[in-house]
Amino acid sequence: MQYFQFLIIIILSPLIQGTIKKLKANMQGRVGPGIFQPYYDLIRLLKKDMVISNVTSWIFKATPYIVFTSTVAASMIVPVITTESPFDVMGDVIALIYIFALGIFFMALASLDAATAFGGEGSSREMTVAILVEPMMMLSIFTAAISAGSTNISRIAGSGLIFSPSHVLALTAFLVAIIAETGRIPVDNPDTHLELTMIHEGMVLEYSGRYLALMEWAHYMKQMLLFTIAFDIFFPIGIANNVEISGLAMSSGIYILKMLFMAVLMALIESTRAKMRFFQLPSILGGAFVMALLSVLTYIMMGK
Amino acid sequence: MKNWIGAFSVIDFISVGILITAVAMNALRRLESCVKAYTLNSWLLSSLIAIVAFMMGETHLYIASFVTLLSKGILIPMFLRRIVKQIKVTHDVDPYISNALSLTISGILVAVVYTSLKEGIFVAGFSKNVLQISIAVIFIGLFIMITRKKAITQVIGLLFMENGLFLAGFSLTFGMPTVIELGVLFDMLMGVIILGIFTIQIRRAFASADLDKLTILKG
Repeated sequence: MQYFQFLIIIILSPLIQGTIKKLKANMQGRVGPGIFQPYYDLIRLLKKDMVISNVTSWIFKATPYIVFTSTVAASMIVPVITTESPFDVMGDVIALIYIFALGIFFMALASLDAATAFGGEGSSREMTVAILVEPMMMLSIFTAAISAGSTNISRIAGSGLIFSPSHVLALTAFLVAIIAETGRIPVDNPDTHLELTMIHEGMVLEYSGRYLALMEWAHYMKQMLLFTIAFDIFFPIGIANNVEISGLAMSSGIYILKMLFMAVLMALIESTRAKMRFFQLPSILGGAFVMALLSVLTYIMMGK
Repeated sequence: MKNWIGAFSVIDFISVGILITAVAMNALRRLESCVKAYTLNSWLLSSLIAIVAFMMGETHLYIASFVTLLSKGILIPMFLRRIVKQIKVTHDVDPYISNALSLTISGILVAVVYTSLKEGIFVAGFSKNVLQISIAVIFIGLFIMITRKKAITQVIGLLFMENGLFLAGFSLTFGMPTVIELGVLFDMLMGVIILGIFTIQIRRAFASADLDKLTILKG
């Protein structure tokens, strides 16, 4: 059973996306598409033919597979419903962040490869955001890693809930990092194809058919993974420490509640905030970075 | 109740909150939000004193807490808000350095203070971390004063410094004698009123609250 917990992320990630969209639509007074809409979209895209620009090289064709497999590899490291995760010897939190970075790197290359103006724009913006987000994510995870005495994510999740000022600061910084990484308002607008505002959409604009399905699916998975990591690291309540059926059933139920909570939170932020100007981003991301820095410092000073 | 305060490390949370409101000052550009950050800082300071008073059973600290709340939490912010309204400046435009840089520098300041005061030599009994935080707040207040152009933001920087000093004194000695504290607070109140009137006068004479413009006086 513990060998297959990463499948939960692969299979359920479009559902989370659908739930967020539905909740957001309801909050804004619209009916919105059903929560299974992302699945239909993926199936539709998988059936379709692809249009590929003839100036592209092998990078453009390899990128969807690299992005998808790297995200699957990342989800194998993360404990979802039990900390008895057999693949956690593969890597720790630091490896995980760089597996994400590998995907972002190839996406940026591929969007440059198609040689359109929007691709270059999107990749340049995405790299700017990625540079600002990466140290922030690292620092906020380090707080938890120091207190657990390990960078292994299962070990951190297994060390239980720690309630201290430094962890609250780190969690706040991590939430900002999640918003930036998943391309949500106020950093990026996931619903638009307007050239002035798009970051993530600009990068996948040249993709169609099966490749687009892979890219989108990887994006949904990354979003769910980041939610899972946030709970594993900062709020590991209810996650099972064994592989018995009763414990797993319990922890699955709690996991669903946690994901639902994150979906509501994201929908709430997206409905109440306006998108920020791109050049204002360094100030909010810088603020979150300082918060992560303070969390590590406070942890070192207070010892908790 | 006492166990509850200890278990949830309420004192640590409040002292970190005091630090965060000071650091957040560096990211705020609207004068109203700067005043709000200062108000929140003073309320946290007052509640910290009240909680320590409760934990230690020192009744005279309740008076200090109440006076802090009244002067720094209510009167001074009220007055600052009026000045902001009168000088009709809502944005602290073109500071000397950018938002992100000033945030980073204040983070570095905190790091420097934390590392140089690593071991709490002076322990007042309720927490060994409050002194570091108070010194960090003093430094951040000083930093705000030297990086802002507007007279009113510099006043807020001074007020942050004073909050830091108050917290430092409190963490070392459990509060100075009430008479001295009252004197300092009254001084502060008068200082803010005088500086506020100055700001309004500067604004009236130069049509700007920007202190850089004062060099125009040179013949």
